Amino acid sequence: MRKKLVFIISLLLVASMALSACQKDAAPAVDQPVTEDKVKVCQITDTGGIDDKSFNATAWKGILDAEGSLGIEGKYLESQETADYEKNINSFIEDECDLIITVGFLIADATTAASAAYPDAKFSIVDYAFDPALPNVVGQIFETDEAAFLAGYLAAGVTKTGKVGTFGGMQIPTVTIFMDGFVKGVAKYNEVKGTNVEVLGWDVEKQEGLFTNSFDDQQKGRELAISLMDEGADIIMPVAGPVGIGAAAAIQERGGAYFIGVDADWALTNEKYADITLTSVMKLMDATTEAVIKSVIDGTFTGGNVVGTLANEGVALAPFHNLESLVTDEMKAELEQLKADIIAGVIVLD
Amino acid sequence: MKKEEQEKNDLGKAFFRKFNKEDGDEPKEKKNFWQSISIPALAILTGLLIGAILIVLTSPRVYEAFAQGFLTGIGTAFNEVYVSYKALLTGAFGDIGKIISALQSGTPHQIRVAINPILESLVVSTPYILTGLAVALGFRAGLFNIGVEGQLFIGAACATFVGYSIKGLPGFIHMPLALLAGMAGGAFWGFIPGFLKAKTGGHEVINTIMMNYIAFRLTEWLLTGPMTRQGAGSMPVSPVIEKSAEIPQFFPSPIRFHLGFFMALAAAWLIWWLLFKTTWGLNLRTVGTNPRAAKYAGLSTVKTTIMGMSLSGALAGMAGAVQTLAINRSMAIGLSSGYGFDSIALALIGNNHPLGVVLSSLLFGSLRNGATRMMVVSRIPIDIVSVIQAIILMLVAAPGIIQAIYHLKDLKTGDNKVFLSGWGGKA
Amino acid sequence: MTPILELKGITKQFPGVLANDHIDLRLEKGEILALLGENGAGKSTLMNILYGLYQPDQGEIWIDGKPVTIQSPSDAIEAGIGMVHQHFMLIPVFTVTENVMLGDEVVKTAGVLDRQTAAAKIEEISKTYGLEVDPHDYLRDLPVGVQQRVEIIKLLYREAEILIFDEPTAVLTPQEADELFLIMRSLAERGKSIIFITHKLREVLDIADRIMVIRRGKMVGETMPEQADKNSLAAMMVGRDVNLVVEKIFQEPGDIVLEVKNLTVADKFQNVMVDNVSMDVRAGEIVGIAGVQGNGQTELVEVVTGLRKLESGSVTLFGQDISNTSPRRITELGSAHIPEDRQADGLVLPFPVAENLVLCTYYKEPFSNGVVLRYDQIMENAVKLIEDFDIRTPNALTPVGSLSGGNQQKVIIARELSRPIQFLVASQPTRGLDVGSIEYIHSRIVQKRDEGCAVLLVSPELDEIMELSDRIAVMYRGEIIAVVPNRGVSKEQIGLLMAGVLPQGDIPTDENIVIEATF
Repeated sequence: MRKKLVFIISLLLVASMALSACQKDAAPAVDQPVTEDKVKVCQITDTGGIDDKSFNATAWKGILDAEGSLGIEGKYLESQETADYEKNINSFIEDECDLIITVGFLIADATTAASAAYPDAKFSIVDYAFDPALPNVVGQIFETDEAAFLAGYLAAGVTKTGKVGTFGGMQIPTVTIFMDGFVKGVAKYNEVKGTNVEVLGWDVEKQEGLFTNSFDDQQKGRELAISLMDEGADIIMPVAGPVGIGAAAAIQERGGAYFIGVDADWALTNEKYADITLTSVMKLMDATTEAVIKSVIDGTFTGGNVVGTLANEGVALAPFHNLESLVTDEMKAELEQLKADIIAGVIVLD
Repeated sequence: MKKEEQEKNDLGKAFFRKFNKEDGDEPKEKKNFWQSISIPALAILTGLLIGAILIVLTSPRVYEAFAQGFLTGIGTAFNEVYVSYKALLTGAFGDIGKIISALQSGTPHQIRVAINPILESLVVSTPYILTGLAVALGFRAGLFNIGVEGQLFIGAACATFVGYSIKGLPGFIHMPLALLAGMAGGAFWGFIPGFLKAKTGGHEVINTIMMNYIAFRLTEWLLTGPMTRQGAGSMPVSPVIEKSAEIPQFFPSPIRFHLGFFMALAAAWLIWWLLFKTTWGLNLRTVGTNPRAAKYAGLSTVKTTIMGMSLSGALAGMAGAVQTLAINRSMAIGLSSGYGFDSIALALIGNNHPLGVVLSSLLFGSLRNGATRMMVVSRIPIDIVSVIQAIILMLVAAPGIIQAIYHLKDLKTGDNKVFLSGWGGKA
Repeated sequence: MTPILELKGITKQFPGVLANDHIDLRLEKGEILALLGENGAGKSTLMNILYGLYQPDQGEIWIDGKPVTIQSPSDAIEAGIGMVHQHFMLIPVFTVTENVMLGDEVVKTAGVLDRQTAAAKIEEISKTYGLEVDPHDYLRDLPVGVQQRVEIIKLLYREAEILIFDEPTAVLTPQEADELFLIMRSLAERGKSIIFITHKLREVLDIADRIMVIRRGKMVGETMPEQADKNSLAAMMVGRDVNLVVEKIFQEPGDIVLEVKNLTVADKFQNVMVDNVSMDVRAGEIVGIAGVQGNGQTELVEVVTGLRKLESGSVTLFGQDISNTSPRRITELGSAHIPEDRQADGLVLPFPVAENLVLCTYYKEPFSNGVVLRYDQIMENAVKLIEDFDIRTPNALTPVGSLSGGNQQKVIIARELSRPIQFLVASQPTRGLDVGSIEYIHSRIVQKRDEGCAVLLVSPELDEIMELSDRIAVMYRGEIIAVVPNRGVSKEQIGLLMAGVLPQGDIPTDENIVIEATF
């Protein structure tokens, strides 16, 4: 038995050596699998990884979409720690990428340094804006509070207990901006309808609230969702990437409450929870990323910052899908009006 | 009576002769060397073989090729492995062809890019060496320091703070000062569980794990609070350190090779010297190997435990300090990819010997560095390398598997025994 | 009649050592065969081959006239061979029944353990062979002697016909050993065949039907107990004549070196372990502390050597109070300590011989300059002591854990006695050692005494105490109940004292014997 195993392993070894030796002559091009003149777009994730169900994943979706629509070639490198950012950018510089997309504020330093060191390279960073803007970097930021405002208004209209909840992954601006918009939307509803719907988990004035301090510990999401439900909240919006999955699971188990997703349309990305997902506050980083890629192909790429808004559809409120019945036609009309008011600048957030 | 003594002494001498001469020093030494190297070497080979299978199984191109035909599938599978491992190799050590042509071209930038891989491997190895030493030193003192990760975070925070808050110092003072601050921070973080162990018997495994949690949350708080960068909008990232606090890099971009690597080697040498050449080291090893005998011999286990844990923490803190002062130049969350935990593996593969730790760190550093290239070239996820590392570690920790697979004779070398007792022995 | 077991030309080679060299052995049914030899002579290797733990390089094993191959302990059990190991293979938190069943479980339907059936079988076995034990007791509650009985029952439960006892008395008190011999005899009478491995001469003469002696892997002799005595057996074992009695000339003791006054010591549960003990040791004399193990000797020694704190009373060494002083200071005053448990306390097993030889002095000149160790001096010291004390080791860098027990003890003896000392505490200095080593260590201790060193000797082996001591103090339940000069006093008298029986007026007739009862 053992001898056989040794024999097989040796055989495999010899075979692999022989084959790879042949391969050298037979297919020298395989080393670089795609050598046509495709535009190469390369993404560097932050430490969340490519499948973080958050901005890394959404930006990558933009690249994959562009592979289909624009015929580019996409690649990515995952960073495991801060020291990897510079290393990964260097790797892609060496690989001669046409556009390097970095994700998240943590890579901002490394992106700045690289943009200075390689003025001919093109960069785009998701969720960060440079001030002043850099000549070869496009910063993508999002007014997610605009869409979150709509979600808050909707939640206030749908709640039966008069209480809605939210919590964040970490107290950083890209997270709290969702929560700000959500609270303001609820306040708007109270103002218009004379109700007294309460938001648990975030205080805009004091900038204090509930946070998991983690973007990957789903158990913590579950715990916070349960305690919010215990406090009476029946609609919860977690702004914490995959931690939200824990919250969704807790809501589904208990029942009688609904979930609002963030970043992507959760009814589509997490079908398991489609029946409790009221809507999602979409931060369409895939769309903006695809737009930046397109500008590279068109030759119109210039450095600066891109702001995703309701107006340019960089942010949006997702459809209601399975829970359409909960939303009255009147509410739908009101939401449309609010959206128009925000775009028109009648309603000003901040 | 006298005669008997004589006879007995002769007998002793005969024994000496038997062991020293007849068996011969040289072949025995050689055999021991090959024995001690054979398990890790075969473990690495096996790890790579299993990694190859995983590469084949996870590659969509292989499935596509199999859909076309069996032979095409096999060919693609081998090609996939070949391409991946070639990328791993060139990513870790550089492409000889490229180096030669770069040298011929004489363009400094091209030369730098060509030789960067091997230097980058050394850069990646540096924190592995330091954290591996921290764990190994702990094991030698009979302490299982699982708190290296937390000590690394505290060390990084202290070094960063000194690095950006003090201004106007010359580099030859500021950089060492920041480094020392990092070491002191790590040492303090190691001192606490060491003190608790020595004075109250509180188990260091539990206490170091708890200290990790405190360190993670504390640094998060520091980065969003007192140490946050002005204008970063309360992002968890510290200000950039002063130029004078930077550990110098030797070459311009993209080579990140820095002085910290040599500092790590120096630390390894120093730890070796302390452990095996000084009274302090013998003291520490005695307490670590047999605390009862240490007490019998009149040694202070209390002092040694506290010292051992603090020094271990200092090494971990140094790893954090070197990473921030030489590479990151500021501190942000996501500082470590788990050095504190990988280092346990490194210490074990290195048999808790500084040289062994350096060698195993170089191996892991090269693997990880090469993995980036592998991912760029063939889209093989970097996780494959983590799996390969884990398999190598398991095979080294359970030599029986390797012996069974390769049908080796039972190698009951003393090394293996020390290795195993280091792992669980004195908990 | 065919022998039940026959070994033919068993040879086993280990790297550098020929452990068994063409060994032939025959075991008749119902016989107790003693296999005698020094530690490292190859007895254990031979038995491990028989038990399937090693494979012989050459040779055959025949059982009931048929050749068999034994590749594992389960093969051995199948062939009716059982082994009582020196260190029991029992689980403390299991009951006797569970321990016995383990590995050979009787089950009812659906895999439920049938404890009743097993317990009944155990009771039957214990009745048949006189192995008194309650099947429902937990192992951890049983004394060592009874635990050993459980090991024996385990073998009988598996219907072993050939029983191997590996140094069975090493862990037993003399009384327990006597009980074990009765059991072995009763087993043999009921047709079981026994191989009894030992290096203790008295036991062999007491119990064996036939004696085989093994030396350096070779079978060197066979004899009957009636035709042998201790001296002849020792000579066969060691390969030369052995002095079983240490030559010791009377000398007048000098000044008081160690003085213990009203010493009381408690353990961590506040049980009094040493109770108001007063005694002294003078220069040039050996004071032996006799007593059954666990009567406070260990604690007394630990206080005297600084390893344990005392409750009340005082300990004075060379006129200085050493109550609650650190072991290092006591050592530096000029004392040495041969600890009771050499592997746990006296040595660092993975360390080389050379480092173990400087365990107590490495920090001082010439072995260190205060910071850096001077390995040239340490090696020189090691080479010298290895030579002087005849430590059999491949070289000075061999880990001490790979030496035999006797040589490990010699490392300690060499380390402790090579220093200029005036006071020696020797706690069970020959525990588990073979005749040759015992002889050697005894002579070294007496030599120290002759040089004027004060020696405190602790040993549960009454023979050892009687042979070496100038005065004997008997400890019983934490108290020293008598101190007698070792002249004319008999073993039986001390034995009674050890059992706590104080002599009536008529026993010590010799005027020289003064019983100094402390109460």
